Amino acid sequence: MVDVANTVTPDRQRAELAALSAPAVLFTLAMIAFPVIYTVWLGFHSFSSTGQQSFSGLANYSKLIADNEFWHGLWVTLALYLLSLALQLVLGIWLAMLLFNAKRLPGIVRSLFISPFMMPPVVAGLMWLVILDPSLGAANYILQAVGLPPSDWLASPIWVIPTIALIDTWQWAPYVALIVLGGLQSLPPSVYEAAQIDGASAFTTFRRITLPLLLPTIVTAVILRSVDLLRFFDIIYITTQGGPGNASNTLNIYGFRVGFEFFNIGYASALMLTLTVIVFGVVLAFNRLRGAVAW
Amino acid sequence: MDHTPLSESWIKRINVLQLVLAGILIMSPTAWMVLSSFKPSFEVTAYPPTLIFSPTVENYSQLMETTPFFSYAINSMIVTLGSAGLGLLFGIPAAFAVSWTRISWPAVLTLAARMAPGTLFLLPWYMMFREVGMIGSYAALILSHAVITLPIVIWVLLPSFDNIPRSIFEAAQVDGCSVTRILWKIAMPLVGSGIAVAAILSFVFSWNYFLFALVLSNGDSKTLIAAAFNFVGEGSTQWGALMAAATLIALPPLVLAAIVQRWLVSGLTLGAVKG
Repeated sequence: MVDVANTVTPDRQRAELAALSAPAVLFTLAMIAFPVIYTVWLGFHSFSSTGQQSFSGLANYSKLIADNEFWHGLWVTLALYLLSLALQLVLGIWLAMLLFNAKRLPGIVRSLFISPFMMPPVVAGLMWLVILDPSLGAANYILQAVGLPPSDWLASPIWVIPTIALIDTWQWAPYVALIVLGGLQSLPPSVYEAAQIDGASAFTTFRRITLPLLLPTIVTAVILRSVDLLRFFDIIYITTQGGPGNASNTLNIYGFRVGFEFFNIGYASALMLTLTVIVFGVVLAFNRLRGAVAW
Repeated sequence: MDHTPLSESWIKRINVLQLVLAGILIMSPTAWMVLSSFKPSFEVTAYPPTLIFSPTVENYSQLMETTPFFSYAINSMIVTLGSAGLGLLFGIPAAFAVSWTRISWPAVLTLAARMAPGTLFLLPWYMMFREVGMIGSYAALILSHAVITLPIVIWVLLPSFDNIPRSIFEAAQVDGCSVTRILWKIAMPLVGSGIAVAAILSFVFSWNYFLFALVLSNGDSKTLIAAAFNFVGEGSTQWGALMAAATLIALPPLVLAAIVQRWLVSGLTLGAVKG
């Protein structure tokens, strides 16, 4: 492309283009790269109660391996992740199919359908906190009205993870639907026509044609949700702060509390770095899968 | 042609039924929040819950009287507009350069920053900002929130810049236009709607962001989102005011989302899906 630019030298142009991206790159390095390196350094140190720091090698990491609360946090993180992801995929794809078939739905109604994820997660948490209140909430009233036993929801050590998954699904299944809808709209209509002529039923068409063609889009949705779900924070911190007891203490909540409530900076750094490695590992794995299912 | 046992009209009816069911599931919690915010305070905690009541704004006036809601809202506005502005300022030229050179690592770098857990940066930020006495300052909050807005701006604008025919730039170059001038005079006006979407999405996600303000703000600079968290403790007996606060906080992002809903897909998937 540079040969066309006979009045601007290629060097000058390169310098200008570099200058255009420089602010964004420098900002990101200053705000992210440098702090992350600092965190790595902090992870190799211990801090005394007076704020004195000393090099402690891998002590924080060996502590992590021996820390039951870490393994519990990992388990809670993964349970919440897999449950939420499964619910959001199934309901998101269902909603996308519905919206795809309802082509005449007015834009404003459509935007109401996908509105939950534009809401601040803190607001979603507050709202559900009131609805799910064990003694006065509307949810238990509805359960009892249809003859089901009431639940303690967020206050129950057993039900707290499914309940948080439910809240997150309410908020983010519409987001999955939005992505899948984009994928559906980009599929060539000729595929459906051919299937119809061959006499395929709606279900067969969906299972044999739509779903395989949508797979790259679905993997994209999985990646985007994985990033958020593995570092799940807002809704949990608002509703339970990791409780009752430690029943919803995800790694992110645990790391935050170790850092900012117990001020154990070194150990919190080790926890956060471990979580970051997990998030990037999952994303890279799914990214390879996306390459494998692309068509 | 009809091989299925169900006729067309029945399939349509079942579709509509499912759509209504989905609509109820999605919208009723929000509707309940808004409804509760207009109930007389004694009725908010009534059991069984009431659906019919005489609406009142007493929860809203109580909220304004008992909390500095308005100054929190101004804090949120300053942080949100500041970080969205910073994101646009750095993101527009970067997206243009990435689209021009096809060298994508600057864009990937900002995206990687978005993928890491916020707590990872929050620890060192807290130590650093404390060192220079910036805890509780608007600057610290704006800088931290710009980490969220920058990748949004870059990834929303990349496809827009990619869509401009290269020949337009080449013609301008023959006329002796510098790259910066091409961006300013030619490319930016052509991606105006993309910039609007990027600005609105930046606003929404910066407005909604909780974690950074939770730690980096103080009593004077607290954003609405961070303040709402404190309302929980105080508000356990004042659900009405709590729901009034929640309704008001959710209003700006929801209104903006409705405005840009047509362009949401490409914007929200950060370029992963071409909508």
